[in-house]
Amino acid sequence: MEDVSIIILFLFVLFLLLGTGVWVGLALIGVAWVGMELFTTRPVGDVMLTTIWSASSSWTLAALPLFIWMGEILYRTRLSEDMFRGLAPWMARLPGGLVHTNIVGCTVFAAVSGSSAATLTTVGKMSIPELRKRNYPENMIIGTLAGAATLGLMIPPSLTLIVYGVTINESISKLFFAGILPGLVLASMFMAYVAISSFVSRQWNPDAEPAMTISEKIQNSRFLIPVILLITVVIGSMYLGFATATEAAAFGVIGGLILAASQGSLTWKTFSESLMGATRTSAMIALILAGAAFLSLSMGFTGLPRGLADLIAQMELTRFELLMVLLVFYIILGCFLDGISSVVLTMAVVEPMVREAGIDLIWFGIFIVVVVEMAQITPPIGFNLFVLQGMTNHEMSYIAKAAIPMFLIMVLMVFVLIAFPELATWLPDNIRSRPGG
Amino acid sequence: MSLLRRVLDTLYTAAGVLAACCLIAILSLIVIQMLARWTGEVFPGAPAYVAYFMAAASFLAFAHALNRGSHIRVSILLNAVGPRVRWVIETWCFAIGTAIGWYFVYYANRFVYWSWKFGDISQEQDKTLLWIPQSVMLAGGVILAIALTDNLIHLLLTGKHRIIRDTVDMQAE
Repeated sequence: MEDVSIIILFLFVLFLLLGTGVWVGLALIGVAWVGMELFTTRPVGDVMLTTIWSASSSWTLAALPLFIWMGEILYRTRLSEDMFRGLAPWMARLPGGLVHTNIVGCTVFAAVSGSSAATLTTVGKMSIPELRKRNYPENMIIGTLAGAATLGLMIPPSLTLIVYGVTINESISKLFFAGILPGLVLASMFMAYVAISSFVSRQWNPDAEPAMTISEKIQNSRFLIPVILLITVVIGSMYLGFATATEAAAFGVIGGLILAASQGSLTWKTFSESLMGATRTSAMIALILAGAAFLSLSMGFTGLPRGLADLIAQMELTRFELLMVLLVFYIILGCFLDGISSVVLTMAVVEPMVREAGIDLIWFGIFIVVVVEMAQITPPIGFNLFVLQGMTNHEMSYIAKAAIPMFLIMVLMVFVLIAFPELATWLPDNIRSRPGG
Repeated sequence: MSLLRRVLDTLYTAAGVLAACCLIAILSLIVIQMLARWTGEVFPGAPAYVAYFMAAASFLAFAHALNRGSHIRVSILLNAVGPRVRWVIETWCFAIGTAIGWYFVYYANRFVYWSWKFGDISQEQDKTLLWIPQSVMLAGGVILAIALTDNLIHLLLTGKHRIIRDTVDMQAE
């Protein structure tokens, strides 16, 4: 950190390019170029190419388009209707009633899709009108949906975790397993909140559900069995060390195709739409990753990561204090950047810091995912808020307000994670992993 | 002019479709590789081939994704300003993008040229001549740079860029 003014110039360029709306991937390349020109005498262009080529041609990265494709296929099936019809009979008797279908539905769909927007639309398409029909309080319907949809980022397959794993070179399978228990705990916390507010809230007087016999219930949820089976195959194959994350993703695509075909919703149109959608989304993330690889090389030359890590070490922050600083930092960053961009943008700087503090990087992956999840439901650019706005025609401020309790529950989740790190580390320590996962 | 327009649009879409075919190739390679493993055969170099197709799928789809508005950007400022200022900022973005695009192409060309000149061979089991997969990256880079330039010129001449954002396309987050 000899030359503070050059560092400031470098950071200025970073904020300028990102802030004016240059596409994130290209902006990262631009910033990295400036950094290299300022801090080294090496031939920048040639270094850039070597870095981008090795970052883009990666076997591990191939899990990304495949998992996106699997989600895209299932998104275009009848899953939305089946999910509500199948889950509703089982949730009706719980305190909080059918609002739980939002949360359980999101949890199930999160297990086949790595995206929270897709989770939100799939579950909400059916549950919003149905719950309204039954006079559930509107703010509960919207709030729980916004919050629970973020589970898509945590429960495997998770795009954010793939990106994190590729960026810091950790096993994707391990990260996936680290996400399972915290995801389920977070879902139960949401459900507990729903149950409690159903007792406390005065607006809570939904219509009662007609009673159903056990066989009727099973009849109604038989369509969910194939999805559950698919989840079991994808996650199970990784757990037993049968397949790497990339291979499990291939199982997922094939399973998804079979499932769609058996429902009769696999047409040329849905097939090509899902494939092209996956191609575009995966290209978008690949561009960010290519830029990020070059940027993290360039960051290394600026000495910024080392300097900050030393600074943190000098300040003798405890682990807890460091995590609190990072928590606030990522919440603020999340107001301006989407989750994937904020992860790749910061890892070059944050990774040495976190390693220095002796924090487990698998655990930290889950921490960072919970934190960027929060950003999905905070204005001004909370992505789930936009999606919900499109689906319900409510004001943004109304939706954001309805989501505040969920935001607080996620903050609580961060502290639960810090208090019980085993939630994230126990499963990954106990899988039989294949080399190259 | 309209012929050029048609040619360019076909180019972007064709590259996008080719990228989609790369995804199918990735899927097939992984399946074959797994089948081989279970039956006790070996399929040497499969991970390397998957990696090449992964790079190809990404680079070929960049331009298509750009035109469909899939690439993420921070749009707070763009949404906050009036149409006149917005045009200026959009022009700045496309100008920067175009510059980075052609800068990449220039060095990608050198990269592939030297790789071909020296006959660089993959260090893994596949022993592929590296310039072959690398030139797909170059091709994707050229198409992206063309698409950025195309949008920039369009923006300067007509005041509008040609990116149409598809609302279904918000699966990323």
